[in-house]
Amino acid sequence: MRPLIISEVHKLFSTRLWLWLLLASMALAALYASLLIGFSDDPDTMTAPLDSPAGQQTLFAVASGGANTLVAVLAAIGVTGEFRHRTATATFLATPRRRRVVLAKLLVYVAAGVGYAIACLVVVASIAWPWLSAKGIDLGLLGEGLPSTYAGVVADVTLFAMVGVGLGALVRNQVATVVGLLVYRFVAEPMVTAVPALSDWTAYLPGSASAALTQVSLSTQNYLDPWLGGLVLTGYGLLLVIVGARVSVGRDVT
Amino acid sequence: MRVNLFRELACAADARVEVRGLTKHYGGVAAVDDVSFTVEPGSVTGFLGPNGAGKTTTLRMILGLVRPDRGRATIGGAGYADLARPLEIVGAALDSTGFHPGRTGLDHLRIYAAAAALPSSRAATVLGVVGLGDAGNRKVGGYSLGMRQRLALATALLGDPAVLILDEPANGLDPEGIVWLRRFLKEYAEAGRSVLVSSHVLTEMQQLVDRVVILHRGRLIREATLAELSGDHGDLETAFFELTTNQEIRP
Ligand SMILES: Nc1ncnc2c1ncn2[C@@H]1O[C@H](COP(=O)(O)OP(=O)(O)O)[C@@H](O)[C@H]1O
Ligand SMILES: [Mg+2]
Repeated sequence: MRPLIISEVHKLFSTRLWLWLLLASMALAALYASLLIGFSDDPDTMTAPLDSPAGQQTLFAVASGGANTLVAVLAAIGVTGEFRHRTATATFLATPRRRRVVLAKLLVYVAAGVGYAIACLVVVASIAWPWLSAKGIDLGLLGEGLPSTYAGVVADVTLFAMVGVGLGALVRNQVATVVGLLVYRFVAEPMVTAVPALSDWTAYLPGSASAALTQVSLSTQNYLDPWLGGLVLTGYGLLLVIVGARVSVGRDVT
Repeated sequence: MRVNLFRELACAADARVEVRGLTKHYGGVAAVDDVSFTVEPGSVTGFLGPNGAGKTTTLRMILGLVRPDRGRATIGGAGYADLARPLEIVGAALDSTGFHPGRTGLDHLRIYAAAAALPSSRAATVLGVVGLGDAGNRKVGGYSLGMRQRLALATALLGDPAVLILDEPANGLDPEGIVWLRRFLKEYAEAGRSVLVSSHVLTEMQQLVDRVVILHRGRLIREATLAELSGDHGDLETAFFELTTNQEIRP
């Protein structure tokens, strides 16, 4: 397994996509954090005050807001790129046991997810800390509930990496996978979750499960408990990876 | 000056490719129909047939990339998927398009060297062997078709394999490149290894191959040495023409 993982790490770092998507994730984290702090004194704000533990947890929870989807895009592009650029031929010649390739990709993109999550948390911290001290608010980085928020962010981003690997393996078509992922995340699921009558059900959708992990409360939606959200998202990821590896990856490479 | 680039093979049996009854249908049409032949160590076998004859499909079945409907191919007695270190037994260049355009030639080779647990220095070595030593740090997106063919061949050579399987490797090579390839493959076979090389351009093959396997509409129509075939029909082109036009009335 070690050689395969090294090979997949080479694949990831031998093009620049990981860097652009990381920078985009960090920029989104910076934007969300700045908006949250900048408008925190607005009387209409839905977030808890930033001198409260709940407010500070929400502030750090936005770290995964861009990174989760973008890491899924990174993983999906990495997997489907094997078919788009026809490198699957060379990959499966080197490793005829194809499921090992899926496993190696999974491990590498999950590790990338950890990296993205930590980078985005650092971005939020480095914006929040000076800004809040200027406002006279003391931000303890290990304050009440914050370690759980950090863990939630890391879990959120890494589980999305898994979803990206699984979806890419299942669909194989790069454009369809990426467009499908983005449309689902930003159009389809938000539309369904906006229906209050369905909220008992929509809480189990991947996006809501992801939000449950960090309990980011920017809307009035009800979420599952964080552990259950994590479990549900893990379920989606595993299901996609297993079905993708069993059904799709074994097909003829012509 | 001729340098023998390749070590002699320790065990020739590892290099024998046996194809038995391979069959593959696409949508009811037999792309490959009950094809059997053997690739002998120490020789270059030409795998010939017009476009659509089923050459690529057969090669991909030998390499475990396409699942046959029936039949089996073995390399040194084992199916491709059962080889413990496949790239050190079989090197294959199937496609001059199988590269990520944003990667450099060297990175491409390092990726597959790593996957096969080969030293990463092999990447530069094989790049030098195919004459791409100066282009290794350029992105493959900027390579010409001939350069991609060479990079595909370099990928096949990573594991210093006993068997080389090449699908239309002369496509896009300039005349000089073709002369080079011909010499290269002959030396490879002279070291006791097997070379199976497909082509639909017969004039390229006449001076290269020792044996021929001729495919037409998915069916094997002749397996012979070049000498046998020339005895029956004269040159390869005539033989091919006679075999493919008269195959219906052949017994
Ligand atoms: N993936 C595929 N789907 C459908 N038909 C295919 C596929 N691959 C090959 N074929 C068909 O199988 C036949 C043999 O093709 P191929 O093996 O590529 O021949 P060759 O390499 O000799 O030109 C052709 O008729 C081709 O159209
Ligand atoms: Mg072909």
